[in-house]
Amino acid sequence: MSVPVRSTALSALLAAVLLLAGCSSQQQNAAASGENVLHLFNWNNYIAPATIQRFEQSCNCKLAQDYYADNEEMLAKLAAGASGYDLIVPTGNAMDTLIRQGALKPLDKSLLPNLKNINPAYLDSAFDPGNKYSVPYAYTLTLLGFNQEKVKELGLPTDTWAIIFEPKYLEKIKGRVTVLDSQRELMAAALKYLGYSVNDADEQHWQQARDLILRAKPYWAAFSNTSYVKELAVGNLWVAHGYSNDMFQAALDAKKTGRKFSIGYSTPREGAVLALDSMVLHQSGARPDLAHQFINFMLDGKNSAELTNLTGSGNPNMDAIRFIQPEIADNKAVFPDRELLTRLEMLQDLDRRQRRLLSRLWTEIKLRNL
Amino acid sequence: MPALFSMIKGDSKANRIAKWLVSGPPLLFLLVFFVAPSLIMLFTSLRFPGEFGGLAPIAAPAGAVHGEYGLTLETYQFFFSDILYAEIFLKSFAVAAASTLICLIMAYPLALLIARSEKRFRNLMVLLVVLPFASNFLIRIYAWMIILGPESVFSHFINTVLGAFGIAPVTLLFSSFAVLVGMVYVHLPFMVLPLYTNLEKHDPALLDAAQDLGANAWQRFWRVTWPLSLPGVFSGSALVFIPVLGMFAVPDILGGTGDILIGNLIKDQFLGTRDWPFGSTLSIMLTLAVLAITALAAWLARPAAIPEK
Repeated sequence: MSVPVRSTALSALLAAVLLLAGCSSQQQNAAASGENVLHLFNWNNYIAPATIQRFEQSCNCKLAQDYYADNEEMLAKLAAGASGYDLIVPTGNAMDTLIRQGALKPLDKSLLPNLKNINPAYLDSAFDPGNKYSVPYAYTLTLLGFNQEKVKELGLPTDTWAIIFEPKYLEKIKGRVTVLDSQRELMAAALKYLGYSVNDADEQHWQQARDLILRAKPYWAAFSNTSYVKELAVGNLWVAHGYSNDMFQAALDAKKTGRKFSIGYSTPREGAVLALDSMVLHQSGARPDLAHQFINFMLDGKNSAELTNLTGSGNPNMDAIRFIQPEIADNKAVFPDRELLTRLEMLQDLDRRQRRLLSRLWTEIKLRNL
Repeated sequence: MPALFSMIKGDSKANRIAKWLVSGPPLLFLLVFFVAPSLIMLFTSLRFPGEFGGLAPIAAPAGAVHGEYGLTLETYQFFFSDILYAEIFLKSFAVAAASTLICLIMAYPLALLIARSEKRFRNLMVLLVVLPFASNFLIRIYAWMIILGPESVFSHFINTVLGAFGIAPVTLLFSSFAVLVGMVYVHLPFMVLPLYTNLEKHDPALLDAAQDLGANAWQRFWRVTWPLSLPGVFSGSALVFIPVLGMFAVPDILGGTGDILIGNLIKDQFLGTRDWPFGSTLSIMLTLAVLAITALAAWLARPAAIPEK
C-alpha cells in the first residue's frame, strides 16, 4: 500500500532547510552511482572503523556513510527528499513507518546465510512479521545508570524504577537525578512501574502515570537527553534514566579519567523499553547486491561483536557473544536473562490523536506541579 | 513649511526609482522569508496531522471510508480548550521581560562608558562586546553548564559565601536562574550595541548646558541623557525580548524540570509529537504576539512631539 505523500510548499521549504547540510553528499551520491559504492544512512558512531576496512576489502567496494542522531531526523530527511541510500538502520517504530510508507525493498534471504546467527527472540517483531524487510543490527535498553559508591552509601535499590519515582528514595538523591526528556520514554518507565505495558494508550493509565511523574518531579534535577552522560561521569549526578549505550560511555569516561567512583547500570525488574535497530533496504538505493553483502557481513559474529565492543550496544547475534569483551557480555543489564527478556518491550507508534493528547499531558508535566 | 514642500517636489522620478532600488531587496527578502512562510504556516494550522507526521491529504484518497481530510479549526479549538497553553505563553513573556530588564540594567552603564570614553578606545571596546560571537552559541551555553555545575569553583564559592550567612547551599545549574543567566549572557550584546549607537550621538554640550543651569549629575542623566536615549532603549529591548521569547536551546540545556518555554513546545510538536498543524498554530500565536510587541515598541519609540512649552 502506498501512502500519498503531499508535496506541499511547506514540505518543500522544510526540505530546503533540512537538506542544506546534506545536499553536498547527495551530489556525491549521484556522481558515484556508477561506481562500487554502498551508501549507508547510519547513526553516529554505529560501526567500528576496523569493520568498515575489512568490509571494503572483502567486497572490493567503498562504504559511504551519512549520519543521523535520532529517528525523527532520519525520517524528516527522507521525507524532505534525501535519497540514494542503499541501507538504513532505523529503530523499530521508525522502521514501521518506513514499511507502511512503502519506502523499503523486501530482502532476499537466500543471500543472507548468516541470518541463522540471530537470536530468534529478536526476530519476527510486531513491526515486521517474518522479517520481510529487516535484519536486527543491535539494540539499546532504556535503563538506570548510577554512581555505584553513592548508591551503596545511601542504601538505594538499583533494580527498580522506584528509585526515580518513589519520594522515600528520591529524598536522598534530590537534585542529583535526571530523567529522559522524552515523552514516550518517561511515560514508558512510569507505565512499567505501574504494571502496564509501555504501549498502553488508555487515557486513565496515562493520567496515573502523569500523577506519578508529577509527584517525583520536584526531586529531579532536570529532564536530560544527552548531558547526563557527562554529568554522571564527573560525579554531578548520582542516578540517571537513560540509554544503555550512553551509560556504557559514562562508565568508560569515569574509568578513563580515574574518578574515585564507578558508574554502573541495570535494567529494572519491572521491565523496560528495548530499542532494536535493524538494517533495511531503502527503495532509493542503487546497489541492493552490495547491501545484501553488507548485511550478511555484519551478521558474522566477529564483525557484529566489534560494534558492541566499541559502543556497548546490546547484540542480538548469538555467534557474536564469544567475541565480545567479557565485562560487556556479562552485564545482565544489556544481555538480559530469558526471564527479564520477556519483560522488555519495543515502543510502537501512537496514532495522531494519541500523540496530541500525550503532548498535552507532557506540557502539563513540564509546566505544572502537583 | 516651504522648505519641506520643495523637498517633496525634489523627489523626482529618478529619485523614486532609486528609493525602490534601495528598499526593494530587503522588502523582497521579507516577502519571501517572512510573509510567505507565515501564510504557509497559517494554511498548515488549518490542516489535519498526517498519520506518520507531516499533514493529512486535503482531498480524501479514492476508497477512503473514514479519516479526516480538508480544512479544520480543531487546532485552534485545542489551543483554547485548555488554559495550559495560555499559561505557557504568559510564562515565556515573563522570562522574556525579565531577561530584557536585566540586559537593560547591565548594558546601559556599559554603553554609556563606551560612548563617553576616548574615541580611540571605543572601537576596541565595541569589538570586545561582540567578541563572544566568534565562538559557537551552543558551545558558550555548554560552558555555562560547567560554570554553574554543582562541583564547579563558582558554585563552591557562592555556597561558601551563603554558608557564612547561614543560608542553605543552592544548586545553580538546571534552574530558572540558570535559564535567565543564559538568556542574558547570549543577548547582552544586542542591548549594548543599539544603546551605544544612540548614546554616542549625544551632544556633550547638552550636558554642559544642563550643568550651567544647575542640574546635578542625577538630574543631568534623568532629564537629558535618558530621554534622548529612549529610541536606543526600545530597539535594544525589542532585539532582546523577541529572540528570548522564541528561544528553546537555553531552557533545554540549562533549565530544570519546570523550565519549558513556548519555543520548546513548538519544537516538540514538529519532532517528538509530529503534529505539524498544532505546531503551526502555536507558531502563529507566537508571531502575532511578536508583531504586537514590535508595534508597541515602534509606537513607544516614535519621535517625541516637540513640547509646547
